Amino acid sequence: MASSDSDSSADSESDRDPDSDRARVGLVVNPAAGRDVRRLTGGASVVDNYAKRRIAECVLEGLTVAADGIEVAAMPSRAGIARDALAESDVAADAFPAEILEMTLEGSAADTRTAAARFREETDTIVVLGGDGTTRDVALESGSVPIVAVATGTNTVVPSPVDGTLAGVAAGLVATGAVPADDVTTRHGTVEATVRSSGTADGSRLTALVSAEISSRSFVGTRALLDPADLRGGVVSRAHPGDVGLSAVAGAVMSEPVVGDDPGGVAVRLDDPDTAERTVRAVVAPGVLATVGVESWERLEPGDSVLFEVPDGVVGADGERELETTDATVELCPLKAGPRLVDVERTLAVGARRGGFDVETASSARE
Amino acid sequence: MTAQVERELETETEELTVREAIRQALREELERDEDVFLIGEDIGEFGGVLEVTGDLYEEFGDERIKDTPISEAGFTGAATGAAATGTRPVVELMFSDFSGVAMEQIMNQMAKMRYMFGGKAEMPVTVRTTEGGGMGAASQHSGTVHTWMAHFPGLKAVAPGTAAAAKGLTKAAIRSNDPVFVFENKMIYEQTGQVPTDEDYTAPIGEAAIEREGDDVTVVATQRLVGESLQTAESIADEFGLEVEVIDPRSLYPLDTETIVESVRKTGRLIVADESPLSYGTHAEIVARVQEEAFFSLDAPIQRVGTPDTHMPFSPPLENEVLPDGDDVRAAIERIS
Amino acid sequence: MANYNLESSEGRVEALRRMLLIRAFDEEAGDRFADGEIPGFVHLYIGEEAVGVGTCAALDPDDYIASTHRGHGHCIAKGLDPKYMMAELYGKAEGYCNGKGGSMHIADVDAGMLGANGIVGAGPPLATGAALSIDYDDRDQIAVSFLGDGAVAQGQVHEAMNLAATWDLPVVFVVENNQYGEGTPVEDQHNVDNLSDTAQAYDIPGLTVDGMDVTAVAEAVDEARSRARNGNGPTLVEAETYRYRGHYEGDEEPYRDEAEIERWKDRDPIDSFTERLIDRDELTEAEFEELQTEVEAKIQDAVDYAQDATPPEPHEAYDDMFGEIPPEIERFATAARTDGGTPGGDR
Repeated sequence: MASSDSDSSADSESDRDPDSDRARVGLVVNPAAGRDVRRLTGGASVVDNYAKRRIAECVLEGLTVAADGIEVAAMPSRAGIARDALAESDVAADAFPAEILEMTLEGSAADTRTAAARFREETDTIVVLGGDGTTRDVALESGSVPIVAVATGTNTVVPSPVDGTLAGVAAGLVATGAVPADDVTTRHGTVEATVRSSGTADGSRLTALVSAEISSRSFVGTRALLDPADLRGGVVSRAHPGDVGLSAVAGAVMSEPVVGDDPGGVAVRLDDPDTAERTVRAVVAPGVLATVGVESWERLEPGDSVLFEVPDGVVGADGERELETTDATVELCPLKAGPRLVDVERTLAVGARRGGFDVETASSARE
Repeated sequence: MTAQVERELETETEELTVREAIRQALREELERDEDVFLIGEDIGEFGGVLEVTGDLYEEFGDERIKDTPISEAGFTGAATGAAATGTRPVVELMFSDFSGVAMEQIMNQMAKMRYMFGGKAEMPVTVRTTEGGGMGAASQHSGTVHTWMAHFPGLKAVAPGTAAAAKGLTKAAIRSNDPVFVFENKMIYEQTGQVPTDEDYTAPIGEAAIEREGDDVTVVATQRLVGESLQTAESIADEFGLEVEVIDPRSLYPLDTETIVESVRKTGRLIVADESPLSYGTHAEIVARVQEEAFFSLDAPIQRVGTPDTHMPFSPPLENEVLPDGDDVRAAIERIS
Repeated sequence: MANYNLESSEGRVEALRRMLLIRAFDEEAGDRFADGEIPGFVHLYIGEEAVGVGTCAALDPDDYIASTHRGHGHCIAKGLDPKYMMAELYGKAEGYCNGKGGSMHIADVDAGMLGANGIVGAGPPLATGAALSIDYDDRDQIAVSFLGDGAVAQGQVHEAMNLAATWDLPVVFVVENNQYGEGTPVEDQHNVDNLSDTAQAYDIPGLTVDGMDVTAVAEAVDEARSRARNGNGPTLVEAETYRYRGHYEGDEEPYRDEAEIERWKDRDPIDSFTERLIDRDELTEAEFEELQTEVEAKIQDAVDYAQDATPPEPHEAYDDMFGEIPPEIERFATAARTDGGTPGGDR
């Protein structure tokens, strides 16, 4: 939380130039994504900031697909990941205007939310490099601006493990309208948790993108929800055995998968694997294939809510412990108005169909 | 003749090279004390770049003969930490020139820990390292830096000139609860001498050895210059009938001032021969102590033989020019006799 | 068993007590330094209490720690007695180092405390060496090296990490990232944003935790300790924290502003943990007041003890250089003992 702001240059005005007719793409690279305790336990891969910078350079390269019609604004960070990416990506630097957002840095997730709030007004598409947590933080503030989420975090159910260049191409096509956003985006559900207790957490709310979890651990600690024995259940906005986390558990017991843009969600309550109604194997965290006892599961419509009594525990969001509570009742409720996510593969296919990759040459001009 | 030398001569001996004597010391101490282990670059299967550790690896294995990365600060520091926590490491710094890389841990940790902690830490670490020119190894592999360590409070420094001293000092260093640097001149590894076979033989740190008795001139010589001074003494005796007393101080810090001073009181003449650079050094310390204690016994100016404040050059004619030897000792004797 | 374990309510209250003790000790040390009673330099740990206490909560009493120039907190977290610490700060004979070390060199090797250290980055090789002893003797212990963010730029730190990683030694490197290396912000000293990323160069886990949360630090170090004891080698834990006071007492701090300090103070490790314990009914307001009173009394006792303690005799300057005193030093010791004068000839 140093006061200096190494990415911002003092004289750059980050407000969008009102005379510009270029589409504007926001870029969020979360420097903190993927550096937590899962590097030590479980099997999370490590994406260091140099790798993130290289991926950001790929995104910039991909954006040159719409070079004539695009400009880029990037969230700053203390380490200057975006700054370095812009500096090193000569192609991008020459191809379109690019700037670093001028903002005061906190060195925390607040930076992501601040940048996202600015992007809500100023951009046509946002590219996010991070995990579920970063994507959620952007989604909380970015309204209905389409988001291209590229996985560089630890828990990455929502962001795609897609090559950054392809993500950049897709963002360019959507931002410029070469591919209509409505054709290639879906609204991902979210889950809201509300705490009622006699303690200081009373009235606290948090929003999860994929899953809101109840853990019997007392403290937030290193955040990650790692030990399946601590997990008491929760509500997920999607349920698929191909996901990682509580949504994988729900996916293992539901007869039909629930995908991100299906309305509503699934409530699951866990119990001792030896006595539970049903016991399944599920990937509860990267590198952790656990045996989990499921006591009950229930499909929820948007606005339906379930209650968890929490004498001593933590409410989690997207695989991370967030809120410590005691003697609390926690209400979990799936909502439908979540982030508008771009399907990269579909965008590229639609883009091709619409001639978005065609290059005008002397011979094509004669036809 | 000191009591120690007499004791040494009474015991059974065998002929060994300096290299073999050091290896025997290491082997005996490894056998005697399980807390002892060796740590350094290429000392294991490779046997040491100057072949001192030799076959110890085959005998004791990689737990006790530990090869390290090329990381002098790291492993010297680790040895310091290990010594403070219950083991007895013996470090090999391949060339003494490399001690510069490890100097922080040596001067601020190894040397100071016991004192800064009010005596509540033991520091039983030995650092063996090679010194000296004569091999065409050039400036970064030929230095003689023992003055640094002898000067620095909290470190002990020994520098054997004979095979017996090499074994005895190495064993005494390992048994000491203080940090001891053992400076091995690389040109005398093949030099042979009689070495006591007794496994309890040590050369106490702080005791000099009179290697040749004489009444006319005292030569305090270290390392390679001990042997060369002994040869010079023989030829001077033949040519001029002068009897030169040759003392190997063996231990530079602490220094056996008494043995040297007694000799000078007898001879009235002193030459100090040590391969380190001449200015501000080992020579100066010995000279200072002698003038403090035996000023009025001196019959002639004290002479110094050493490297004339240059680095060790590569080309043999250049190296020969600056490297002190028996002829320089002879010239010094002739100047004052 | 750990000194105090954050898994139990008693352990948590004990952790809070130790954090309070550290803060009270350092506030007192700062005041007494300002009064001119304590000579030399003092570097205060205020604001960083959760790192030392969280780390030591995950350790057994016989585990080793190597500390830094900002070591008072590590000492108290490890269980050293504030009385003898304060006596050492006062330069008294009863101090941990008989007055020879002072604030920057407090040590108690028998208690597993391998010393505060005036050289930035010197601790990691020493802790690696302690881990080497542990490994050599097959003992069931680990060694922890505390180091600051500034130390991560030191060469010997990286040599130690490489050595420890290559040999799978039971050591945990706890980087206390307090945002400034002396007076220079961390981002002006390192090209990596997360200092934990440096672990990747040694193929060991490196993670970053909230250093203002004692439970986060303890949980991370506990995992790292298990890994170390299972023979899997070192871990780097970066704890993001903040020092409220200057680099040293008297530092005018031109490099930061009050607003930044206040932002961090909003997340004060002691306040937030107290609030959580009260929320959990593990501590009442009254019990907290009692704890405060007890801690303040203990520190007052320590100051009284230190003020009344004996100044060392001049001749003690000659003790402890070596296991056996060499003649070079002995003559000065003898002279100082007999007439306080100098031995004949020189000095």
